Amino acid sequence: MSDRLSGLFFFLLAAGYVWLSAGYTAGFGDPLGPAIFPRVIGIPAVILGLSLLIWPRHDAVWAGRAGLLRQAAAITILLGYALLLEPFGFVPATFSAILGLGLLMGAPPLRGLLMAALAAPGLYLLFDRLMGLPLPLIGSWFG
Amino acid sequence: MDILSLLWDGFAVAALPINLVLIVAGCFAGTLIGALPGLGPVNGVAILIPLTFAFGLDATSSMILLSAVYYGCMYGGRISAILLNIPGDEPAIMTTLDGYPMARKGQAADALAISGVASFIGATLATIGLTLFAPMLAKAAIYFGPADYFALYVMAFATIGGISGSDPRKTLLAALLGLMLGTVGLDPSTGVARYTFGSFNLYDGFDPIVALVGLFALSEILFFLEEKAHGGGLVPPGRVFPRLTRVKEGIGASLRGSVIGFIAGILPGAGASLGAVMSYSFEKRLSDKGTFGDGDPRGVAAPEAGNNAASGGALIPMLTLGVPGSGTTAVMLAMLISLNIQPGPLLFERSPDLVWGLVAALYLANFVLLILNLPLIGLFTRVLGLPAWGLMPLVVAISYLGVYAITHAAFDLLVMVGFGILGFVLRKLDFSLVPVVLGLLLGMDMENNLRRALSISGGDFTILLQSPIANVIYLLTAGFLVLSLWLSRRGSAIPSRLETPGD
Repeated sequence: MSDRLSGLFFFLLAAGYVWLSAGYTAGFGDPLGPAIFPRVIGIPAVILGLSLLIWPRHDAVWAGRAGLLRQAAAITILLGYALLLEPFGFVPATFSAILGLGLLMGAPPLRGLLMAALAAPGLYLLFDRLMGLPLPLIGSWFG
Repeated sequence: MDILSLLWDGFAVAALPINLVLIVAGCFAGTLIGALPGLGPVNGVAILIPLTFAFGLDATSSMILLSAVYYGCMYGGRISAILLNIPGDEPAIMTTLDGYPMARKGQAADALAISGVASFIGATLATIGLTLFAPMLAKAAIYFGPADYFALYVMAFATIGGISGSDPRKTLLAALLGLMLGTVGLDPSTGVARYTFGSFNLYDGFDPIVALVGLFALSEILFFLEEKAHGGGLVPPGRVFPRLTRVKEGIGASLRGSVIGFIAGILPGAGASLGAVMSYSFEKRLSDKGTFGDGDPRGVAAPEAGNNAASGGALIPMLTLGVPGSGTTAVMLAMLISLNIQPGPLLFERSPDLVWGLVAALYLANFVLLILNLPLIGLFTRVLGLPAWGLMPLVVAISYLGVYAITHAAFDLLVMVGFGILGFVLRKLDFSLVPVVLGLLLGMDMENNLRRALSISGGDFTILLQSPIANVIYLLTAGFLVLSLWLSRRGSAIPSRLETPGD
């Protein structure tokens, strides 16, 4: 089933990709133009996607309910970390992310808290102060 | 000797204080990353690349650091393979077969010493091979024209997934997906914005560095959350000092394993895992008297020498042709291209400092690694007791700060997470990630060379088949494909875990 779905996905993606390439035109001087290369790679992808849809071979085994929930939570944390790094500043955002991910991976709460409380300022000191990478200490919301 | 004087100059570069520091740091970090189950050379190198940019290291120093990490991982992978029966990285899978039984018999110290010496022999012989063969290949490759380069890229894509992927259609699709992602942004020769959907953030396209940190570091985190409990019982090292007689038993197997591993490393798309598998099975056929799988020292020495030699061999096609021989070298290629250094035959003419400095650094790295992995081995066995919940979140934080430090844009962090999710889903669906990275990396050059070739011919596509060099490359490609099909038939003994992101 998973092969059929990925085949369908690739088929639609590549078809859309080739279709969009028609809009890319340029003037003279370039025998190839910006549209040909996308077709050179898009058309085989359409065919391969279709073949995967028709002749699937492999079926993915996904994690159980608990595993999928953990993964969804991790993705939320990763997105939140990306969005909040600037507003929160490096240390608070990193503290939250390390704590959240640590707990997801089964850290005992107190030790996970300790780890995050040490690691977030520690990374800041190591990379910003010691090695000179500019990181936002306090975010725009607080500063 | 021409090579010797070049190598001498290389040692002058490698012996600069900054480079010496990087060699030691890289060897240490590499052994650590290799030893930790779940993190392998690709992840380690991917996490470090943004940092090398952020610190403004030049290309030579960056390559020295990353290669030291790469070599270090090959040494480190064996530690958890022997003590935990969990390979620290993929190429170490074969080491579990005889290494863990040895450890259970109370010979862990012997096994670690044998494999440490085997790693040293493999890596050193491969570095000697690199010194001798790379310049020869580079000399031949200097006559390449645009059509030949196009053929070379076709070879890179056709062969990279040869052995790793289960379904060749998926390898091709993964490469095409990478190529498609690579066309996003302003077209370099006409300035037309392609597939940007009006977002100015996409005008520069996807930064391969951001993409590969997401693909290799973040997807690993999602994978890790799949099964909760990792790790088993740590076998106590038993006696503290290895016995010299046991170490000697592994020497012959190490030498044979090195040669096989080196050849596997040079073949595009084969890499260190295959090197280890081939060395082990050859040694087993040669000298098994019922002791293999039951703690035979030769069964520990052969695959370790094999995977270390393969990682040295894999650097040859990467440096001389710009075609990586393994996943990790593909990631290193990304870094060189991002630093505006085009690996390939001209690299040896234009940047002899880089090439020979790197080669000399590899010799030094081997000695550092030998010291780290024999007398100081206790340091790393202690690290294995650390919990994953303490280490994995740090990997995430370092990935974020590295990417943020080079781009200063929250948008790129989101792109990185997006690639992380993509990488996870693709791996679950049995697509390998290395072709995606290659596509993203080489796409623009592939298109440029195609355009250059066609503007020479005035739009006639037959120019692609007129050059004798290109035809030889297409023939070689076909040969490699047949060879890898043959190997994958025979290599059905390879555990299915090998289908993770390459080495």
